[in-house]
Amino acid sequence: MGTEPILIVDSLSKSFGEFQVLRDVSFTVEEKELVSLIGPNGAGKTTFYNVVTGKYKPSKGQVLFAGKDITGFPPHRISRLGLCRSFQITNIFLENTVKENILAPLVAYHGKGLSIWRGLNSYNQVQEESMDLLEMLGLSNKAHQIAKYLSYGDKRLVEIGIAMASHPKMIMLDEPTAGMTPQETERMISIIQRLNRETDITFFLTEHDMKVVFSIAQRILVLHQGSLLAQGTPREIKDNPQVRQAYLGESADA
Amino acid sequence: MDRMRLRSTGAGIVVIGFLLLFPLFGGIFPILLLTEIFIFSLFSLSFNLLFGYTGLLSFGHAAFFGLGGYTMALLIQDLHLSMLPSMALAVLAAGLGAAIIGFFCVRRDEIYFAMLTLGFGMMVFTLVHQWRSLTGGSDGITGFQVPPLNLGVTRISLFSPQAYYYFTLAICLISTLLLWRVTRSPFGLLLRSMRENAERVAFTGINTKLHRWIAFTIAGGFAGVAGALFVIYDRMASPTMVHWTMSAKPVLMTILGGSRVFLGPALGALIFFLLEHFITQYTQSWMIFLGAILVPIVLFFPKGVLGTLTDLVRKGNSHGN
Repeated sequence: MGTEPILIVDSLSKSFGEFQVLRDVSFTVEEKELVSLIGPNGAGKTTFYNVVTGKYKPSKGQVLFAGKDITGFPPHRISRLGLCRSFQITNIFLENTVKENILAPLVAYHGKGLSIWRGLNSYNQVQEESMDLLEMLGLSNKAHQIAKYLSYGDKRLVEIGIAMASHPKMIMLDEPTAGMTPQETERMISIIQRLNRETDITFFLTEHDMKVVFSIAQRILVLHQGSLLAQGTPREIKDNPQVRQAYLGESADA
Repeated sequence: MDRMRLRSTGAGIVVIGFLLLFPLFGGIFPILLLTEIFIFSLFSLSFNLLFGYTGLLSFGHAAFFGLGGYTMALLIQDLHLSMLPSMALAVLAAGLGAAIIGFFCVRRDEIYFAMLTLGFGMMVFTLVHQWRSLTGGSDGITGFQVPPLNLGVTRISLFSPQAYYYFTLAICLISTLLLWRVTRSPFGLLLRSMRENAERVAFTGINTKLHRWIAFTIAGGFAGVAGALFVIYDRMASPTMVHWTMSAKPVLMTILGGSRVFLGPALGALIFFLLEHFITQYTQSWMIFLGAILVPIVLFFPKGVLGTLTDLVRKGNSHGN
């Protein structure tokens, strides 16, 4: 098991009517890797996320996660198997407190979602885990704030916290630093790196900020017009003439 | 935070103490009015488990109020069961009805959910209205005896308004406590999270339809408790209980009181009945006045009376600290 890739994507295609958004995308991700998927706007990144994590069914192809065929599974089943995602737009529970944002997925993970009569306060393990996670994200002092009043950067951290709380084997982050100030971006990168180092979680992320991608990704996949154009280490991708032409252009060295 | 909890516990004790002592000095009419307010508080609280906590606006909640009520009336009239067994069965019937209707309704949300509940509500009304041999059609079911409360060692008559007041108060308090427990449970947190963002909850591994379905069934069951209580209070089960205007009542009461505060709907019921009582002394067209009160509340205090008040108290506290 240990040597097998955690994610195998095999000739995945997705069309909306006549329009083919993904064509024959194939690649694998190894356990504990930090892989980044890049591609210009409209390359099909978000569709790719939606197909892999169960929002859309693929038109063709297969997705294997941790040795299991999850093609066409609904989101909650995929999530239960340990593949979680965060969203490009901030997608948290705005009217609930920061801690409640983390507690909800923890409750789900520990299978307490159908416990109807006992108070949530009496579940010590869930409570402790939520505080540990908030600590790791640097949000402990904001635990009781209503999430909608947080800064944008903090909301994005809550977003990652929600994904982390499901004890995932792998997290797919969709543009985790989009719209962030330079300081917020830096903080986010260091937290992702720390999580990648200190946990067994495999990270997969899309990112439009090339600096971020080349500084943290161990491997990069390039999506272009729905097809996989290239994959390799940051070095290889930087030197790939096809990629430079199709995507990086003049900002390649930025 | 703790001071606020202390204060609300104190306020709760004062209110319950007042309600317990009220029949000792209150007249018959206020006792009857309060009994009805208890019943509709519970009805609205059960509705708000779906509306305020799960984010689902039901326009057919009267179906379960009526199912509980008619089952109660039929059991008492035909089988002469005593109070608690008939209530238990009435609640079971309402819960079962909610489970069946909810099974379909929870597949959609927002306006589609509202329309499905409205549609099912109308079907239940038509059924009740047309099935004369069982329900008495537009005449309803009347003329049954008020069943005694059988406590094994002793039987207590619930015929007097005072006795029924205490019985209703007890049942409504217990039901409210149970509903409160539901909202404070892990399940309750997931409901509130689904209200905010159901898709996100699904991505954490939760079958959101199942959770909505359970919430729908619980809400229907407690509406059934209210309906059963109402039938004994009113001495009849009538088709108005399942009419869509009855479904609108918990909606109005909840918006009046506030959907995001647990007891908001109960306060809404109190305000609703007090207004109705005082305004109808002067005019028949009290709905105009109700509308005139609702519009500014929705426009300027969308959190309702209790929601706005708790916000003020919280703000006051954080300024004080």
